[in-house]
This record gives sequence, structure tokens and C-alpha cells, in this order.
Amino acid sequence: MKGKEWYQADEVAQEYDAKRFSKGGRLIDRREKQAALDALGPVEGKDVLEIACGTGRFTVMLAERGANIVGLDISAAMLSQGREKARAAGVDDRIEFMRGDAARLPFPDDHFDAVFAMRFFHLADTPVKFLTEMARVSNEQVFFDTFNDRSTRVLYNWLLPMGSRLYSRDDVTRLLSDSNLTLDDEAHDFVFPYGFYRKIPNDIADEFRGLDRAILDSGLGEKLASVSYWDARV
Amino acid sequence: MKESLMDILCDPLDKSELELEVDERDGEEIIEGRLVGTVTGEVYPIEDGIPNLLPPDMREE
Repeated sequence: MKGKEWYQADEVAQEYDAKRFSKGGRLIDRREKQAALDALGPVEGKDVLEIACGTGRFTVMLAERGANIVGLDISAAMLSQGREKARAAGVDDRIEFMRGDAARLPFPDDHFDAVFAMRFFHLADTPVKFLTEMARVSNEQVFFDTFNDRSTRVLYNWLLPMGSRLYSRDDVTRLLSDSNLTLDDEAHDFVFPYGFYRKIPNDIADEFRGLDRAILDSGLGEKLASVSYWDARV
Repeated sequence: MKESLMDILCDPLDKSELELEVDERDGEEIIEGRLVGTVTGEVYPIEDGIPNLLPPDMREE
């Protein structure tokens, strides 16, 4: 997997949230959380697994809403950030963090009500293997996002620290069918890619976000969106 | 990890059962110890409350 070592470094983990989700990145954080909540619906009492949970941004949010959640990541440094966040939010009794390999999950078949991964598939070298394994341990829902190859993100891709795998709709359709999943819902967003929002201050970001939304609503949405959210069923 | 997690955890290599060995606990919480594959014999450490279920070929230690 690309960037494996990078994500394992303590200093990267400690600065991860601040670097990505301050300034215009705040908008991204909000939108991603909304996408997860829209797809996963009311999570109270649900058994949920998050793959590549990193610093626990989504893990903690869903535990706060009553999910029983397991956060799995390869990096001990990222997980220790997650655990601090869970303790601070007072939800550590509903969260278990563990290190593991997304291609070989330590869970039985069909155990979870929902399994999801955010910002994972752009780093995945063997996406079918990972998605198949997510589907194996879910009894209903699998949710994930992709970065799109038809968008402005292509222009920014070379700026990313480790390069990203980009997906077309055909790629995702094939990926789902190879993993025996059925697409249930989808959403597309961000004409201006994350890297752009991350670099600009809040007040300007809000203006660009308005323009971004207007372009998306004009009907060009899916064609120009840099991020897609895919909600699938086993 | 909480001891109740044992109800769902299995060996990542072949999904067989794991056995819990505890060195240090705090009530329900297992702080230090290990999970041992009953079929594979593989040892997965629990360090500082976090189980490491990375298969042996992915561990840096």
C-alpha cells in the first residue's frame, strides 16, 4: 500500500488532523462526516466497522451517536490519536481500536451491520481484495469514497505526497460487481479538490464552496466532482 | 481492548478461534497480553490496550 510508512510516523499522525482539516479543510471534514451520516443513517445500537480509521474522526462521531464501533488501522501512531479523541469525547466504552490488515480482517463472516472506509481506496493497491473482505464481514451495508479520474483532481494529483489511485464510474461498477456488492446510493461532490480547500483560509473557502455547489447543481455535478461516495449492499 | 471483544475476534489468517492470555488488566479492559491462534499458533500481542492483529508478514517488529 502506498504511503504505509508515511502514515505510521508519529509526527505525521500527530499533525494529521491539524494539517488536513483546519482552514478550508474544515469544509471537507464537515462534508465527509455528513456523507457518512447520510449513508449510515441512524447508527444507534448498530455494529459498525471502520477500515483505515486513522485518527478516529468518523469512529468517534459514530460512537457519539450510539454505534458500537470497531476502528481498524495499520498504524499504531494514528490509533493512539484516535484513542485520545475517544477518551476526550467520553465514548471509549463503545469503541475498540485495533491494528490489522484490511485484506485479512480478524472477524467472522457477516458480523457487522455496516462496514465503511473513508479516504482509503485512493491508497489501495488491491481494491477488489479489500472491498471483498469488507463485504465478507458485513451483513448488509458497505460504504466508501473514491477520488475521481474525470475531475480537476487529476491536475492536483501530482501534488499529493504519495500519489493517488483515481477511479472512473466504470472502475467502481467493476469493483462492486467483483466484490459481489450492489450499488444502492451514490453522491458526488467537490469540483474543487481537497488540496485546494486545504490551502485557502476559511472565509474564502466558503465562497468557493458556494461556487462549487452551484457548478454541481448545474447538472455537471457528476462529471466534474472530484469525490464520490458509494453506498452498497451485500 | 475489552474482554468481550473476544466474542467476535478471530485469527486473521484462517478465521479460527483465538485464545486470550492476560498479563495486565484493568477490570474488563485488557491492557497487556496476547491473542494466540488455536490453529495457527500465531501470537498477536496486546500492547497498551490495543490488540495488534496484523498478520506476521506485515509486522515491523
